[in-house]
Amino acid sequence: MAIVELQKVRKAYDTKVAVVDLSFRIEQGSMFGLLGPNGSGKTSSIRMMIGMTVPDSGSVRLFDQPFDRKNLHRVGYLPEERGLYKKMKVIDQLIFLGELHGLDAVTASKRAHAWCERMEITEAIPKKTEELSKGMQQKIQFIAALMHEPELIIMDEPFSGLDPVNATLLQDTLIDLHKQGRTVLFSTHRMDQVEKMCDTICLIHRGNLVLSGPMQEIKSRYPKNRVQMVFEGDASFLNNPNVESAKNYNGMAEIKLREGADAQPVLAEAVAKARISRFEVMEPTLEEIFIETVGGRVDA
Amino acid sequence: MRNVWLIAKREYLERVRTKAFLISTLMIPLLMGGGIVGSILAGSKSKPSSHITVVSPDQQLALDLQKELEHGKESRMTVDVVSPGNSSTRTTLDGMLADKQLDGYLWITPGAKTGERPSFSYTPRSTADISTKETITSSLHTVLMRERLSHDGIVAGEVSALMEPVKVDTTQAGKSADTVSSFVAIYVLFFLMYMVILLYGMNVARSIIEEKTSRVFEVLLATIRPEEMMAGKVIGVGSVGLTQVAVWLLTAVLLTSSSLIGAVAGGNVHVSLSPMQIIFFVVYFLLGYLLYSSIAAALGAMVNSEQELQQLNMFLVMPLAGCMFALAPVISNPSGTVARVISLIPFCTPLIMYLRISLATPPMWEIALSIVLMLVTIYAILWVASRIYRVGILMYGKRPNLPEIMRWLKYS
Repeated sequence: MAIVELQKVRKAYDTKVAVVDLSFRIEQGSMFGLLGPNGSGKTSSIRMMIGMTVPDSGSVRLFDQPFDRKNLHRVGYLPEERGLYKKMKVIDQLIFLGELHGLDAVTASKRAHAWCERMEITEAIPKKTEELSKGMQQKIQFIAALMHEPELIIMDEPFSGLDPVNATLLQDTLIDLHKQGRTVLFSTHRMDQVEKMCDTICLIHRGNLVLSGPMQEIKSRYPKNRVQMVFEGDASFLNNPNVESAKNYNGMAEIKLREGADAQPVLAEAVAKARISRFEVMEPTLEEIFIETVGGRVDA
Repeated sequence: MRNVWLIAKREYLERVRTKAFLISTLMIPLLMGGGIVGSILAGSKSKPSSHITVVSPDQQLALDLQKELEHGKESRMTVDVVSPGNSSTRTTLDGMLADKQLDGYLWITPGAKTGERPSFSYTPRSTADISTKETITSSLHTVLMRERLSHDGIVAGEVSALMEPVKVDTTQAGKSADTVSSFVAIYVLFFLMYMVILLYGMNVARSIIEEKTSRVFEVLLATIRPEEMMAGKVIGVGSVGLTQVAVWLLTAVLLTSSSLIGAVAGGNVHVSLSPMQIIFFVVYFLLGYLLYSSIAAALGAMVNSEQELQQLNMFLVMPLAGCMFALAPVISNPSGTVARVISLIPFCTPLIMYLRISLATPPMWEIALSIVLMLVTIYAILWVASRIYRVGILMYGKRPNLPEIMRWLKYS
């Protein structure tokens, strides 16, 4: 079942076209990454999914039904630009947001406490939001999006501005939620960050779809033509006919193979000429795939 | 509706809990109380208690005047009588003035012919003491009038009856209310609305600007409609204003109740409003407040900062002030076409329709229509405001001009 389905969605603002005939599906239970550089139309697409804006043409389906606001209670949303009421106490704020998502005050309060414990910010509960650090505020916003136990979790750039420890905490939480069977969608412009998390991705650039599908399938479409190696001794093997280009940083080499070429003859020559302590045929990174696909036109 | 209620509740509680609210709610009644105590103190002083001397060849006149000045309605003076005076009297009195034993003296010179009014000359110690002179003048007037009337053979009791002020009551066919209390009610309604809109309408606009800067709206808009948010804000922030005004009015009534009851019992103030009029007063006040708060919300939706808001301030009170020009034609003919048309314009309805209800009996369907029109207008303004708001915050960072607003309304 497709939890979210965009069909030929188009959205134009006064000065520019934000999204051009974008179509993709998010299957139930997937961990979906919406990727693209800044200004590529990620936030615009997300806003259309939750009915904040309506597409100029095309259609949005949520939970296998045409878009309907009453289904929004099943969605948890973390906006890119964080916002909380500064003068309000954290607990009141969470209860308020929980109530807006359909919880009663008692349940909201209980869950708020449980979540604060899980996110390691119990000391913030009685404080006013303006007294908290940015990272803490972000965690509270994160909790607010999850308190009503949504089936679909949509997070716009959830890790931006977090230190590594907190980013990992958030990542782990998302992975847990995914394991519970929830569908998670998040957007990011940092492709390296999501490689290990997502099972499905959609890459967009200037409002256009570049790539979409299961991560492994996408990666397998691209040849493994990159080798990283560490060696001691004669480096002349880097001139092997299978090598298209190579960079040698004092015993650390990065090799790009010719199209369709095999890495084995290179390894054989290297073994004959030098001492090899590492030789690895690398999968292409998302970033490389992206750059290859859009032809290096990334204007971040 | 639940969402509107939640938003309104949050706005209300967050505002009522602030120190600023507590202070301003308490300060005004304290100032009012202080003002009243002050005016009572000042009022007790204003009854002149000066010590003067009356010099008159006519001893009866001097004694009558002494009685009036010492025990009359408006004065508690100490009065000495010298009758008749001679040239050395004036020297003595001047000396007493200089020694501050006396506040002033009144010299009465008889008229040249019999029956002619004597002439009066008052010499005060300080020319700034106007109130003593005024009291003497009015007391003299009373004394002379009484003397003249009794001279013409009218007995004392009748004299005081004759000198009572005249009161004219107005009654209207089929209406228990008199025009005076209608006018009082209209002016109270006008000033109450004007004050509350000026004081609190801008708070609605400000809270909407605040929402933009805090960026909470994006979380809110993911679950609720912008119309619901707007309505919640108008109701929540609006109720804060109503609470404050209610506290102030209650204090005012408590503080003035004794004198108010006295005045009503004494027949000086004549207020008679029917229960229906009171109900309509509340209904139209609340609807008017809601309508103008919605306009404030729309203004708040259009701008990004308080400074920009200041420039649009006048749009808020202009329509209300404009209604004042319509008062005259409506008063002269409350059931005429002009009055009927104006009373159905939602921005004027609260004042003008209420005026018509007080002065005549407009058909029930017109009253109902005016209320429906107001509700529709409130909804329409909120709808437009929420459109401007949503498009504005999601796409732009600048204040829109009119063509842009028109274009935004087409977005959904």
